[in-house]
Amino acid sequence: MNFSSPLTILFTLLLLHETLYSTMADQKFVENTCKGTPSPNLCLKILLANPKSQNSDLTDLALIGVAAVEDKGLEIIRQIVALKRSSPKLTPTLNHCEEAYHAVVYADVPSSNEALRGGMAKFAEDGMADSAVESQSCERSFREHGWVSPMTDLNKAMNDVANVVRAIIRMLL
Amino acid sequence: MASSSPSDLENPHATCSYAPLPGGTGDEPTVSRHPKKSAAIFLVCAFLSLAFVVALIGVDKAELNTNEAAVVLSRGRGVDKGVSEKSFRPLLGAENSYPWSSNMLDWQRTGFHFQPKNNWMNDPNGPVFYKGWYHLFYQYHPDAPVWGKIVWGHAVSKDLVNWRHLPIAMETDQWYDEQGVWTGSATILPDGQLVVLYTGSTNESVQVQNLAYPADPSDPLLINWVKYPGNPVLVPPPGIDEKDFRDPTTAWKTPEGKWRITIGSKVNKTGISLVYDTEDFKSFELLDQVLHAVPGTGMWECVDFYPISKQGENGLDTSIDGPGVKHVVKASMDDDRNDYYSIGTYDALKGKWTPDNPASDVGIGLRYDYGIYYASKTFYDQDKQRRVLWSWIKETDTEASDISKGWASLMGVPRTILLDKKTQTNIIQWPVEEINRLRTNATVFKNLVVEAGSLVPLELPAASQLDIVAEFELDEATVMRLNDVSDADVAYDCAKNGGAATRGALGPFGITVLAHEGLIEHTPVYFYVAKGVDGNLKTFFCADQSRSSSAMDVDKSIYGNVVPVMKGEKLSMRILVDHSIVESFAQGGRTCITSRVYPTKAIYNNAQVFLFNNATAATVTASLSIWQMKSAQI
Repeated sequence: MNFSSPLTILFTLLLLHETLYSTMADQKFVENTCKGTPSPNLCLKILLANPKSQNSDLTDLALIGVAAVEDKGLEIIRQIVALKRSSPKLTPTLNHCEEAYHAVVYADVPSSNEALRGGMAKFAEDGMADSAVESQSCERSFREHGWVSPMTDLNKAMNDVANVVRAIIRMLL
Repeated sequence: MASSSPSDLENPHATCSYAPLPGGTGDEPTVSRHPKKSAAIFLVCAFLSLAFVVALIGVDKAELNTNEAAVVLSRGRGVDKGVSEKSFRPLLGAENSYPWSSNMLDWQRTGFHFQPKNNWMNDPNGPVFYKGWYHLFYQYHPDAPVWGKIVWGHAVSKDLVNWRHLPIAMETDQWYDEQGVWTGSATILPDGQLVVLYTGSTNESVQVQNLAYPADPSDPLLINWVKYPGNPVLVPPPGIDEKDFRDPTTAWKTPEGKWRITIGSKVNKTGISLVYDTEDFKSFELLDQVLHAVPGTGMWECVDFYPISKQGENGLDTSIDGPGVKHVVKASMDDDRNDYYSIGTYDALKGKWTPDNPASDVGIGLRYDYGIYYASKTFYDQDKQRRVLWSWIKETDTEASDISKGWASLMGVPRTILLDKKTQTNIIQWPVEEINRLRTNATVFKNLVVEAGSLVPLELPAASQLDIVAEFELDEATVMRLNDVSDADVAYDCAKNGGAATRGALGPFGITVLAHEGLIEHTPVYFYVAKGVDGNLKTFFCADQSRSSSAMDVDKSIYGNVVPVMKGEKLSMRILVDHSIVESFAQGGRTCITSRVYPTKAIYNNAQVFLFNNATAATVTASLSIWQMKSAQI
């Protein structure tokens, strides 16, 4: 191949242009999707963190979102285990939180994934709606038993992610 | 609102049956200037209250039955204060909520509603009466109390009430249903043969329709099933997304003698129902026209299509057509999780259906039920000549609770469907009469006069499994007076107007169930009569979950809708209470509401029932029959 031929240069430029345009178009799609969620910046952060988002349709974006809920849920469960060691008097409430996040990670997330793959978006929406409720239930249980919650940031993070993903899923209905 | 009535302490002539409802801003009487006298009067009143309560408990039920004279059992706080607002107002701020104890969770399981032993259920499938047995199949996830890879669960009954659970009828064992054996329907052919069409989610998650039939048609229990080797018999047609093609209906005969089915779908945001003709359930012809379409309604799931008789009191076989017949199109709206129906006219030659009232079209008009009710499906019971409706009732608690208790979802009580001959514009639904066989131990109250702003405890042996039938009459004088004088109420909406705490001149009044004695938890089911903008009175029927539980992680919505009331009709309601499900029916089934309720305190022996009238002006006369419901084999 003659690299310095004008034709080659033109071809290469066109290829670059197409790739750039395509990537920009996908980025636009992700941005537009996120505009329809309660926290567009959080949504962008979650989706763009996964390189697959550049080539995703709405279902794929929703699946990336559910994966983010799963990651956050697992992180929170690890934190709960650590808190039980450092603050043993909170154990009953932490146990309640553990059950709540267990439901998110081991019931809501797999159910939502299955539902998204099968075209039964409504069950995925229910899964994400429940994930938000579980995080609120955990946060509230500290207050109800007279404790200051050591998990406020974590619970809020889960609530926000779950609501973003729920909004994406609603666009599929 | 008028100024508050004088407190009991300062007015010794006030009704001494007053027992203050707990914790209340504004409940506390003002302090008297003569503490010793006040104390004495208070003690006398307290003694008399106690005596009254003891006397009430001791009253012979038989006396109540035969005593037709108006009985005043008001425990009123005075008209203007109403029943304690704190009891009816939605809970604000955190209360001491409990983690769910096994006691509380165990109580939630029903006594007479269909549910599998454990894990997850959703849509009813292929309901049919075959060789002497009622069959119910259902979407079942055997691994967890959450939706997942679904199979067909199966149970049989002789009476739609007592059930025998059978092995799984169909598993995800073929490539064409590897991701799920989804919803389908049964058709009985004239020669008695039974066929089933169901949606399979393939290994690639494409939605296809498959044919299945009993392995042994002479087995009345239909335990084993065979999937047609040539499956799938239908794949998504051009223009239809591979994930928008599911829930085939029971088939009905065309004028040409073929079989016809309809399958819900969507094109952009227009909900549609595709029509297919077949002679053998193996090869199908897609009609050019859809059965019907409604823009903006989204995906139509679980479409149902059936005839209803204009004059008759029986249900009709799905193939019946003719001048004495109207047709119902029903669909489950994916977007808003509600089941909608519309009555109209079917053109068999064109395969098209048109609603009688386009303003009340499918997806934008009437709902089967104004609470939790989805994916419903009817079948024609040829044994008793009735059309019976089944529906999936999901949980409205958290998934964590469902995991703790080990199960999720119920079927609603099966209901018969008929055209409402009086209104002609809606159907009526009523629990199948076999449910009445569970009734026992009746308590009857006749002509209780309930003043505005009062609460009447109803003495019952237990209150978790009940069948309540009640009739109410508003006092004519107040109705007439208000009709002439008052302006229209701002449009009332059960969901948005604050539930039973919001007082109007002519409502709310009704019955509150799963009630704790202090009304810390209770679920009012009530009528609210209001003046519409056209000057006529409108009656609303609502079920209020806002104070149903101290727990904060359960749904606390208020459900309901307008209910048509014909001239001369009393207001009537029927309520089936079965632990965590309450089903309410107004005016013989014109408006129905299914609620899921998860109390933490109003359970077991602490569950009670109260009659109430929280109106500001009208007196209500109520007559009730309350039966204890025996548990069924479920």
